[in-house]
Amino acid sequence: MRRAHLLGLGFLSPALAIILMLFLIPVLLTVMFSFTNMSTATGISGGAYEINAASLRKLSDAGAQESFVETLGKEAFVVDDAGITAAAAAYGEQFANEVGSQMLGERFDSRRDLERAFRKLKSRPRSTRDIKKAADLFKRSVLNVRFETAGGLLDAVTGNGIEMTPDQQELLTKTIYTGWTWTSDNFALMAQIPYVWRVAGNTLMYVVLTLAASVGLGLFLAITTFYLPSGTATTFRAIWFFPRILPNVIFVLMWKWLAWDTGFLSSLLGNFGVPPRNWMLDTGANAWVFIVLINGIVGASLGMILFGSAIKSIPQSMLHASEVDGASRWQQIRYIILPQLRWPIMFICAYSTLSLLTSFEYILLSTDGGPGGATEVWSLMAFHTALDNYAGNLQYGLGAAMALMLVIVGILASLVYLRIFNFNDLVAKPRIEQ
Amino acid sequence: MTSSNFRSWPLFLVLGVISMPLVIMYVYLFVDTVTDTTAGSLIPDRFTLHHWRFLWEEPETGRVSIWTVTLNTFIFAICTTLINVSASVTAGYALSRLNMPFKRFFLGGILTLHAFPTITLIISIFLILQMIGLYNTLIGVILVKTALELPFGIWIMKGFFDNVPWEIEMAGLQDGASRFTVWWKLVLPQVQPGVAALAVFVFLSAWSEFILPQVLAPSGSAQVLSTYLSNLIFDDIKPDFNMFKSVGVFYALPVIVVYLIFNKQLMNIYGGGTKG
Amino acid sequence: MRISIENFTKSFGDTTVIEDMSLEIGDGEMLALLGPSGCGKSTTLFAICGIHRMNAGRLLFGDADVTEVSSQKRNVGVVFQNYALYPHMNVYENIAFPLKVRKESRAEVDRKVQEIADLVHIGELLQRRPVQLSGGQQQRVALARALIRKPDILLLDEPLANLDAKLRLEMRSEIRRIQLATGITAVLVTHDQVEAMSMCDRIAIMDKGRIVQLSTPKDMYENPSSAFVAGFLGNPPIAFLEGTVADGGFRLANSRVTLPVPSGIELPGDGAPIRFGVRPEFFQPGNPLKVSGKVSFVEIQGREELYDVTLENGAVLRSIQAQSAGFRLGEDVSWGIAQDKVLAFGPDGNRL
Ligand SMILES: Nc1ncnc2c1ncn2[C@@H]1O[C@H](COP(=O)(O)OP(=O)(O)OP(=O)(O)O)[C@@H](O)[C@H]1O
Ligand SMILES: [Mg+2]
Repeated sequence: MRRAHLLGLGFLSPALAIILMLFLIPVLLTVMFSFTNMSTATGISGGAYEINAASLRKLSDAGAQESFVETLGKEAFVVDDAGITAAAAAYGEQFANEVGSQMLGERFDSRRDLERAFRKLKSRPRSTRDIKKAADLFKRSVLNVRFETAGGLLDAVTGNGIEMTPDQQELLTKTIYTGWTWTSDNFALMAQIPYVWRVAGNTLMYVVLTLAASVGLGLFLAITTFYLPSGTATTFRAIWFFPRILPNVIFVLMWKWLAWDTGFLSSLLGNFGVPPRNWMLDTGANAWVFIVLINGIVGASLGMILFGSAIKSIPQSMLHASEVDGASRWQQIRYIILPQLRWPIMFICAYSTLSLLTSFEYILLSTDGGPGGATEVWSLMAFHTALDNYAGNLQYGLGAAMALMLVIVGILASLVYLRIFNFNDLVAKPRIEQ
Repeated sequence: MTSSNFRSWPLFLVLGVISMPLVIMYVYLFVDTVTDTTAGSLIPDRFTLHHWRFLWEEPETGRVSIWTVTLNTFIFAICTTLINVSASVTAGYALSRLNMPFKRFFLGGILTLHAFPTITLIISIFLILQMIGLYNTLIGVILVKTALELPFGIWIMKGFFDNVPWEIEMAGLQDGASRFTVWWKLVLPQVQPGVAALAVFVFLSAWSEFILPQVLAPSGSAQVLSTYLSNLIFDDIKPDFNMFKSVGVFYALPVIVVYLIFNKQLMNIYGGGTKG
Repeated sequence: MRISIENFTKSFGDTTVIEDMSLEIGDGEMLALLGPSGCGKSTTLFAICGIHRMNAGRLLFGDADVTEVSSQKRNVGVVFQNYALYPHMNVYENIAFPLKVRKESRAEVDRKVQEIADLVHIGELLQRRPVQLSGGQQQRVALARALIRKPDILLLDEPLANLDAKLRLEMRSEIRRIQLATGITAVLVTHDQVEAMSMCDRIAIMDKGRIVQLSTPKDMYENPSSAFVAGFLGNPPIAFLEGTVADGGFRLANSRVTLPVPSGIELPGDGAPIRFGVRPEFFQPGNPLKVSGKVSFVEIQGREELYDVTLENGAVLRSIQAQSAGFRLGEDVSWGIAQDKVLAFGPDGNRL
């Protein structure tokens, strides 16, 4: 590789490292996670094998034979070395030796059977209560024991004298594993969520309405401030630019105050006998109005600035010419200004579609998808599913799969945009070759 | 432009009416922090500093002091700005001026990365940070925020470097300076306004960031002002908007100051620096 | 249509750009506003077409007071300095724009566009975009757009400034031809004196927001009212000699040489500073009133040759002679001034 190339790559390397670490790897991991069933329940590191009441229920749900499940759940009494050692400590060497020599390896389905066997021994403890207790020392169960590996579990189960077919073994290890596993079910699962189509519709509505609002309002602001004397124009521009740089928590706080049942709107309308209510959340329609207003105003700020500088770059003489040609203000806007804003408008549309598709902060902070999911959009659904849900079981895998949908749409869209916005113009050849 | 052929007062009127809600919200944002209002009324009737007590009172148990949180926010915003600007300046120059293999690929990639805002990454980043133990720390949030703003920064800086005349560099090389010296001594001073604009932009963006700290460092000592304020708002059953607004104004002060000082640069980067 | 500007004053904020200007332009006349950059030519033009309103004064078109009438209603055609063609419309749409905003019928528009396009010779270019046109073609389109709705007045703001030398020559006569053909009252803004002199019936020379002289080109060349006007007209420009009044003659500064003063000039008292202006065509070897100096600059212009002669006191006189003259740089010469053509100016720059 030429030295000049090394210089270029050297200059690029800090950025590349950061992007690789925190952009590409996460994207790849998003893809990876979307093919797992990771959730709070499975944890994110490895899991373990444990048979308990819940996992037995899961097992029978997964189609294991009732008898098999029952055997697994039942406790058994097995005369093994561990039991004998314990018996020696509690009831003396003699008893232990006798048990060891006569019954080692035997298995009893119930305590009664083992007690009966004990009673035949010479050195058995005297009282019935002690015999019961001694029998308990030999109680063996795979219930509620954690095994790190599938092998450990299977050994233990077989050690308890439970015979399993290979099919049963596989079913058992698969169902009772508490960690995450690979799966491609997330996408099917996603399609089955009852409200998923509604969310998709919401997303479309959100993007279209907000885009229309912000482009329309942005154009309106850019054009009106253009026609105003500069002092007045600067004031209005500041008023409308501020939402863009104001932290979103504060901006939404202002709207909440406006809409709250003790807030401005309610107090104002109270004077006309309208009962106070939370205007933002009382109906789905109202929630939408606020969502579109909040996001639209923030988008309009950007539009105002971009369109404004585009209008400013139209030569004054062209506007003068149209005036002496007899154009009214509306005709000047319609025939001279708007046609020259075609590119900025297209750019804003392209750019905003993508960022709206994936943005959800203002919705999260204002309605949080409510009331009753009326304003839940796709990215917010992914966020809720994976990182913030009421049930407490965060489904990382499913959430990642939802996010992956957005990644795919995003990549497709940017490929299209690269076409439209003539990528080749952007990559000029360097004029110094060293 | 003010053309004498059109009257401006109708526009002034329409714009004034449309701006009214925003103006009302701004005015009440400030007024409410130092006044009390009788319920049901719109006009404040008492002056008070009570709403600002969070500045000097001991925090309730389980809450962090506002000053710690403010310091965190500054650390977060400043570190993000420094790392982001340094990496953007070098990478922007490389992509604008230097020869390198796969340049088209890098440029296309950076444009495409724009299409990946927060949500598409945050789930996996959340899991990564948990695995490597940076969950609930500032470092994690700083790194992630830096990375998320980086494509934009590189793109903007590339634009600024594109506008530096080639002749400056050619002259420098003729005078015997190395490519690096030329960059450091001749080109960088040319794009200083661009660097300043980007720095201001990234600072404001980090200062306002909500979703990253909320997911990656939500609680305890790594809180920043955005999460602090939103926790306050979400916690309360009976909302004390005057207090929320006081915290909000406190939080917004640096933004206002930065806006007043740098509004030209900001307009420049939002307007000229086509964010895309 | 006659244009009367009465006591026109224009200021932007605190700076007054035009002060108390009065000007009358006759029906069908073509008048040039000539002056250095920043003297207020465009401002005057913009006031006539209504883009700027006057701070004081009146503007009449014919007998109608249009001071407060908006641009849209004045019916004035304007050709702007950079033509201001609308880049997103083709030539046809550009020319048709003034009719379109008046909502004229398609057939009517078609007919008029065709007619005007023929007048300015751009009939074949109607489907092109402005960027696909040469400078001269753009110029013609701008002219057509200004003329299409039969305006009462045509204003041209430095219409030739962006053209190359050859095209400029061609368009000069072209614009004049069209103006004469339509009989329209026209105002031409320019800072090129050749343009003003060759195209217009009268010239108004402006300086710092005032009209310093208003006259026909010929009269203005021969009888400039001030050193400023004399310096502005003529190419190569007039040369000035500094000096004082001494014994009823003109004593060159830093020199013993005294020149007689043309008859009919009222001199101030002895010792008063005055200036002599000598046009290059009146400083020739054959003239009687000799001054001597050294040839300090020679420019061969093809048909003519241009010489600078530096006198002993350092002053420079200019001479333009037929090609055959053949003087060389550094040569000592003694040439003569045509005495009755000398222009004398007082200390304030006004003609004596
Ligand atoms: N909108 C304005 N605001 C402030 N000053 C202005 C404005 N327009 C023009 N001026 C000033 O008025 C003076 C006259 O300007 P004008 O455009 O009429 O000059 P001009 O004679 O057309 O010059 P040029 O030959 O360079 O076009 C200049 O000093 C200019 O700076
Ligand atoms: Mg001008």
